[in-house]
Amino acid sequence: MTSDTPTCSNHDCRVAEDGKCVEGYELPECPHYGKLSVDAIPEPQHVEVAPPVPETVLIALDAGTPLDRTQAARLQQRFLSLSVGVVGPHDSGKTSLIAGLYDQLQEGPVGAYAFAGSSTLVGFEMVCHHARSESQREEPFTDRTIRGAAASFFHLDFSGSSSAEILSLFIGDRSGEDYLTVTDDLANADGLFELRRANVVTVLVDGAHLIDSEQRHEVKAITPQIVDALIEAAVLGSRQRLVLVLTKKDMVLASANAERAMSEFEGIVTSIRNRHDAKLEAVESFVIAASPKALKDVQRGEGLSELLASWLRVSAAPASLPSPSLHLKRQIDQFTASEDTQS
Amino acid sequence: MSGVVSQVSIIGLPGSGKTTLLAALWHLVREEGAVTALSFDRLSRGNYEHLNALAKRWRAGKIQQRTQQTGMKTVEMRLKDSDDASVDVAFPDIPGEEFSRMWEAREIEEEMTETLRRPALVLLVNGDTIQYPAWVVERMAIAQAAGLGTPAVKPEPVDWSPELAPTQVQVVELLQMLMSDQLGIGPRRLAILISAWDKVAAEELEPEAFLKARMPLVDQYLRSGRDRWMWRVWGVSAQGGVYEDADKGEHFQETETIRELERPSDRIRLVDGDTQSSDITKPIHWLIRE
Repeated sequence: MTSDTPTCSNHDCRVAEDGKCVEGYELPECPHYGKLSVDAIPEPQHVEVAPPVPETVLIALDAGTPLDRTQAARLQQRFLSLSVGVVGPHDSGKTSLIAGLYDQLQEGPVGAYAFAGSSTLVGFEMVCHHARSESQREEPFTDRTIRGAAASFFHLDFSGSSSAEILSLFIGDRSGEDYLTVTDDLANADGLFELRRANVVTVLVDGAHLIDSEQRHEVKAITPQIVDALIEAAVLGSRQRLVLVLTKKDMVLASANAERAMSEFEGIVTSIRNRHDAKLEAVESFVIAASPKALKDVQRGEGLSELLASWLRVSAAPASLPSPSLHLKRQIDQFTASEDTQS
Repeated sequence: MSGVVSQVSIIGLPGSGKTTLLAALWHLVREEGAVTALSFDRLSRGNYEHLNALAKRWRAGKIQQRTQQTGMKTVEMRLKDSDDASVDVAFPDIPGEEFSRMWEAREIEEEMTETLRRPALVLLVNGDTIQYPAWVVERMAIAQAAGLGTPAVKPEPVDWSPELAPTQVQVVELLQMLMSDQLGIGPRRLAILISAWDKVAAEELEPEAFLKARMPLVDQYLRSGRDRWMWRVWGVSAQGGVYEDADKGEHFQETETIRELERPSDRIRLVDGDTQSSDITKPIHWLIRE
């Protein structure tokens, strides 16, 4: 039956066949015309109902992605924990540094430190992907960290050759642009909790910018400004070490301006050391090629073992210890307790 | 040990050789005259039709059917050691896909948790199919050294997906999950069996050295002692060579050679350090001993 077929609820009517009302009405006036006959309603068909499938109960496992503040704090209670904040403008090599360190561990211990576990293996795999052959890329590439997002943490546990104790390393990850805003307004430092609680704040100096005549002066100007702002905002203080890292050593060495760039990096380090050495636990510097785009003059991951050793070096007791009654084992707790006491 | 009930779970990523190991083991412990650390005592409970079918195909030199992807068949066998003390050993034949789901979807069936909370585990890793990490920059350097130019057609970049992760990363995550809040039970024993050993033996590495060289992340993780595994490594070739796929009508001379051996168990090889035997019950015996 098509939708155009006339229908009538009077089962004696043959309007569908002859177009006439059996009771003699004009069709629009018939009270039965246009309505379904009881006979026209199809009989319900027997439907085979499948037996219910037992519901599978699934238990969620940890996502393995970078940790938020709360998740990191919970994990920091397991072992002696060290926290690193990595500050650098966009594309200065922050993600390459994180990925490069993890990828070094794929081949064995990094310097004196061996991999003991990680809660963020999925996160590491994701940032490493574009430097791996499976990505089908022609040269290593790293995604940028999303601007405005809260800091997250990559986590690695290490066992050292000189100690049976496990060291947990938490590397803060936040957009480089968000750090730069501190130089515009110190109030922007208020939310940088990952730096305030870090044992080591690492400021990256982009080697590719330092060899570029158009950008080198900006690098030389902005790097000390960032450090000045972090110290003035009390994000960086006497219980923390500052590590200045020249990234992209491969590009620096391949440049005609290599010597000048290395010298200018040393100048930046010296300048910052002269201004702030007394305000910080120490100022150190390293040159790295975490994820080089070519292997002409460098090895993949060059300089990372020295940087890692610096990150994992357990500092002297902080100047302002928390209440002895707390019996806090980890440095991060001491900082937190001290900070909380102050607030 | 009388009265003590020990339970062992076999785990491993897809294609790691769990089913073949189970088939070989079931045959071995029931083979007349076999001298093994653990031998067959009596039937306990479980699906012996499944086990017998596995062993039948194994004896015939036919490759095993893919382990079913849903549900699992737990088989148990009662074995006894040289002191004539009995031990119940349970082998949940969990599909490898379940372990892939743990890595990729980050979830686990509640039904599996009891199995994965057992105090002793056999972890199989196929030594012949390890997916190694490789880097773009090194591929480029090799291509340049070989004088190869840029390919005419540039491949499209591939997005990240979990299955691209190196095998050793997946294995570490699996072991970490087994020690997580959801599945952890405290210190556990772990027998790592590098399967398809006949295919990697040419590297002339002992099993422990092989793990260190080919899966350094796993080696570092276990040696760190962070998660309190008590572990040992063996190499195992439970198949002993090439088997035929009955569905494809395959026939290989090498399979015929295997069938010519006097005893089916002669095709099994277990490598422990620098010694070899055909006794694949040794790792299980190590797992259940105090």
